[in-house]
This record gives sequence, C-alpha cells and structure tokens, in this order.
Amino acid sequence: MTLSLLLPIGLAALAALLLPLLVHLARRSEERVIVFAALRWLQAAPQPRRKRRFEEHLLLLVRLLLLAALALLLAEPVLFGKPDRSPWVVVAPVVDPAAARRVIDGRLAQWHWLAQGFPAVDAAERPSVAAASTKPSFASLLRELDAMLPVDTPLTVVVPDVIDGADAERPMLTRRVDWRVVPSTSVSARVDAANHAAPAVMVRYAPDRAASLRYLRAAGVAWQATFPSSPAAASPASRVSVAPASQALDARTRNLVWLVPGPLPAAVRDWIVAGGTALLDAQAAVPELANAAVVWRDDGGPLARGARLGRGRIVRLERDLLPAAMPGLLEADFPAQLQRLFADPMPAPGRVNAMAYAPRVGAAPYAETPRPLAPWLAALIAALFIIERWLADGPRRRSAS
Amino acid sequence: MPSPPTASTDFIPPHVRARLKDLQLIARQAAGVQGFGLHRSASRGAGLEFSQYRAYEPGDELRQVDWKLYARSDRFFVREAERDSPLDVWLLIDTTASMSQGDAARPGWSRLDAAKALAACLIELALRQGDRFGLAAIGNGKLRITGIGAGPRQRDRCLLELQGLVATGAWPDETRLRPLWEYVGARTLVVSLSDAFDEGVPRLAERLAAARREVLSVQLLTVEERDFPFHGGHRFRDPETGDELLSDGDSVREGFVARFAAARAALASRLAASGIRHVEYVLDEPLDLPLRRLFKAKAGA
Repeated sequence: MTLSLLLPIGLAALAALLLPLLVHLARRSEERVIVFAALRWLQAAPQPRRKRRFEEHLLLLVRLLLLAALALLLAEPVLFGKPDRSPWVVVAPVVDPAAARRVIDGRLAQWHWLAQGFPAVDAAERPSVAAASTKPSFASLLRELDAMLPVDTPLTVVVPDVIDGADAERPMLTRRVDWRVVPSTSVSARVDAANHAAPAVMVRYAPDRAASLRYLRAAGVAWQATFPSSPAAASPASRVSVAPASQALDARTRNLVWLVPGPLPAAVRDWIVAGGTALLDAQAAVPELANAAVVWRDDGGPLARGARLGRGRIVRLERDLLPAAMPGLLEADFPAQLQRLFADPMPAPGRVNAMAYAPRVGAAPYAETPRPLAPWLAALIAALFIIERWLADGPRRRSAS
Repeated sequence: MPSPPTASTDFIPPHVRARLKDLQLIARQAAGVQGFGLHRSASRGAGLEFSQYRAYEPGDELRQVDWKLYARSDRFFVREAERDSPLDVWLLIDTTASMSQGDAARPGWSRLDAAKALAACLIELALRQGDRFGLAAIGNGKLRITGIGAGPRQRDRCLLELQGLVATGAWPDETRLRPLWEYVGARTLVVSLSDAFDEGVPRLAERLAAARREVLSVQLLTVEERDFPFHGGHRFRDPETGDELLSDGDSVREGFVARFAAARAALASRLAASGIRHVEYVLDEPLDLPLRRLFKAKAGA
C-alpha cells in the first residue's frame, strides 16, 4: 500500500500552521485579571520579554494537527493497493455453482457470478440467462474483471463447455487465469425461425406510384407459394395489404413499403422508431440515409441503402420500382430479395467451444484505481475539531465564571 | 424539634450536616448567664453536679440544707451545685471585598460562601444545644447586626441575613464598630470568620479577648493562596485597594509561598498570645474540619 497525493500543491496550505503558532505566542494570560487579595505578599516580577514561550501546549498541538489534516485533505491523498488478496472464483451464470464447487477447492476464495456487477454467488439470485441481447459480451466481462481486480489476485473462471456471446477473438488478459470447463446442463438451443418466415407487408402508395403495386402483389403471391407452412398462409390477402397513403398504419404489422415521394410524415417516422421496418420510395427525402450502407446491389450498381432509425430500420430504394429502372424486378428471385430486405440481419456468431476460448496472457496491465482517503480524513478532521473546541472552551469557560 | 425546611439547606451540604452530629460548641471559660443549658457557669445554685458546701445564711431554703451533715457536725451547711447555663455565641462575618475571592478551579465557592456555610453550621450547633446566638456582618464600612436570641425562629432570621450578605468595600474604622460592644457582652463566645488580611480584624479580636470575651478565629484561605498554581505572566489585582501587579507565576511562587506562610504564622502567634484559638481553613478542605479543630480536642478533655 502506498500513499500518494493527487494535488500536491494543496500542501501549500501547511503555511496556515503559522496561525496557531502566532496565536499561542500572544500572551493573553496577562490581559486577564486575577483577583488576589494577598497581594501585599506578592512580588512584582513581569515575565521576561525575551523568552518566547508557547502557552497551552495541548491545545496548540490539536490545532496544528487540525490544520495539517485540512492541508492534507486539500492535497487529495489516495491509497494504492488493496489489502484484500483472497482469490476470486467467477462462475458463468449457466453453470450450476454446486457442480463448480465439486471440481474446485475454493473455500477461501470469493465466489462471484460472471455477470454485470459481479454479484456474490451465495448472496445474490442467479443472474438471468435469458437477457442475452442486453447483457455485455462474455469477453467484455472478463476484461472488466481483469481490470478491476488487483494485479496479483488469483482468478479462476468456471465456464460451461459451450460459451454463448463470445467475441471473434480470444480474450487477452493481464494475468494467468485458471480456466475450468464444467459440463453445462442447459445450453439454450435458440432457433431463429422468424427470418425464414414470409413477411407481412403493408403498402402505402401515392397515386402516381400505382404502376409499381403489381410487382409487390406478385411478390406476395410468390411468398405464399414459397412459405406454405407459415401461419399467415390462411389469409393470403393479409400478406401484402395495399392502401393509399392517407390510410393509417397498422401498429401490429412490422413491415411497410412507403411509395410516397417527399419527406416522411411524423406518424410514419414514429412508427419506424417504435420498431418497424420500412422500404421507402426512391424520391423519399430522409436525411439519415445520405451516406448509408448499400444493402442490395446488382450489376448496374446499388439498388437500396439501409440504416437504423430508433428501434426500427429504414431501407430506401435507389431507383423507381419499375422494370425500366430496375430490371431485376422481373427476375425470378425478386420475391426472395425483397424478403431478405425485410428480414432482420443475422446475429454475429457468438457460440464457441470453451476449451478453444481460454484467455491469453499478455495484455498491457491496467492502471490501478486508487482509493481516496478523503472520507477518513474528513472524519479525523471532525474529531479533531470537536476536541479543539472542547479544549478551547472547557477550561476557559470554567476560569472565566 | 421539628424544623421546617429553610434556607439553611442551601448552606450546609447533607454529608457535612451528618458529620455535625458529634460536634459540640464548647467555651473554655464558664460563660453561662441565666437559665439552664449545657455549659458550666459561674453561678452556683441548685443543680445536679455537686460543687461545694457553704455555711447556712438566713434566707436559704430549708430544703437545701444538708441534714445528714448537720447530724454529724451540728452545724447547718447548704449543698450547692454548679448550674449549667446556655452560652451566648456571636458570629462575626467579614464581608469586605477580599472575601469575594474564590478559586478558578471551583467557581461559585468564594471565601464568603465558605464563611456563610461555617456560620450556618455554628448556628445549627448552637440551636441544638439551646444556646443563644447572634450575627454581626462587618464590611463595606458598616456593621450589620442581627440581635442575639435562641430557637428556630432566630436561626431562620440569621440564615435570612446570611443570604443577603455581599462581599464589597473595606473594613470600617473603630468608631463604626462601637455599637458592637453594646451587643457582645462579657463572657460570650465570639467566632470570627474572616481572611484576616485587614489589620482591623486581628485588632478587633485582640480587643474582644482583652475584654473577657472568648474569641475563636477562623482564617479563610483560597487554594490559590496556599499553592499559587500560576504559570506565566498574570495581572493580579487586590479587590479592596484596586492595586494591580504584573507578575510571572513561576518565578515568584517560592517567595510568595514563604512570605505568606511567615505572615500566617505571625498572625497565629499574635492571636495565641491574646488567648485566641485560631485555625485556618482552605477552601478545598471539608467544611467541618475547622469546627472539629476548634471544638473536638476540647470535647475529649
């Protein structure tokens, strides 16, 4: 443990130590009059002026200490190094801690979950595994823990045999990690079927875009033939519902084709921000799409650009939805291409064999976070102040009365 | 004798009051005057304690004649016994400004407070013995007298007078003290409660003693006068003259303590030469200690 000062110039306040010294040099006892009837047996002998003497030594000492502590507080002292060196064991939330305790002798260690905030294993509830989309990635948690712990604290990580939410790279840490793989009971086999279902699309069009509607309807019919098992197949009319632009948007449908030139109305924008996916007309004015990524291209160049807008997505066609401008409209794969535009982007692969994901050693060590001493110093100052007041008031009040 | 709670409870702390039980006011000279009391008196007469035989004189009561002695000697003798009489006690309290001095270590306990408490103790003792007592407060150039009397009402009157005493001014000259001689008769017990720093105090005591009053003197001293616990420079002021003196506590302590002790010894020997019993009382001592020194030794003899 080392003490250091964040603002050493604050020690200049130590010059204030002169004040109590001067105060105690002043001979105030000669100013007070003592009633003394036996005066005729007393000799006059004034205190010699040459000899400088401090009066009330204890009070002077407390005052000096008080000022020194205040100056130290201004200098912002911090303490490096943590006295607690007990080893840590972190357990991935999908692993049963009882199983982990069977393979690891960690009685002296502190047991924590490998989750946000690193809650203790025995105290906290098991962190929910399901909230996968919001929780930080596995490697990110490892790096945070590595940065948080003191340099030489031993770390044991208990992971399931298959890790979900891994990065593309093996994590690189500052310390050697005891990497224990425990067979896990439940690996969530999430099958994302939504991307393979036929999208339900509502179309809102301006009157001069009516020529494009037949290609969209054709795509809807094609989807009906391609995804016969989809639950929406029972009502083919609902697959692509066409209405003029003045009709209100359906809040339940997630996909929209907006064939209206000009800026987006506020209602449509709100609907997209709330989580919808919109395919916009080529003349739609959306500032967010100025340099957006190309999501669909053919030999003639980019066909559509897409970007996120709030919780939803917008995709704008680069050309008019007419065979003259877009020859691909007449190709057999147009329905599939259109379906791909509406489908959610595939998540990045995040599942890895735990043995292959053992962290490497060699990251640059993190700067240690010092602990501020200000609260303790403030408590000390308060105590010193109370003592000083008691010393200064008590005897003087008694002698004055 | 049931006594209502009075102001005396303010003067005497309970533990001191408990220790007063075995104390007794005792006069060295026979001083009783009239009535029946606890003190030996000069007058002979009917009583319990045999004193002497004397020859029969016309006018003596026949029942006082010792008939057995008549049978042996064929002459009339009269048995005489000592009469025990009550005592007159006068309390002289110095209320000059120097009596207001106390100690910094115990504020609110001045010489005058101690004198009041001692006076209240003496009044309690006198009341218990049936003695008569009176109070004379001398200070601020005046003499205040509460006349002599006995009983609880006199006690309350004296305590009320004690309550009102304030220490100011200087010791009066002798002409102002002349009324005192009209009140304090011969063969009375006079207790002086004073710091005796004024020359008038020992002189009055000497004159009273010379005029056949039995005088007891209690000199009240503060702890600071005994120990002189001052460090560094201080400004000392005499409360009566107003003189001020700047002095360094550490350098003058030894000289002061020695000179002050010599002055006290000189005072004690001067008073002893006049037959005055003299004790010192320092303010941190128990309140009954001076009374014990004055009366207890006599009680054993």
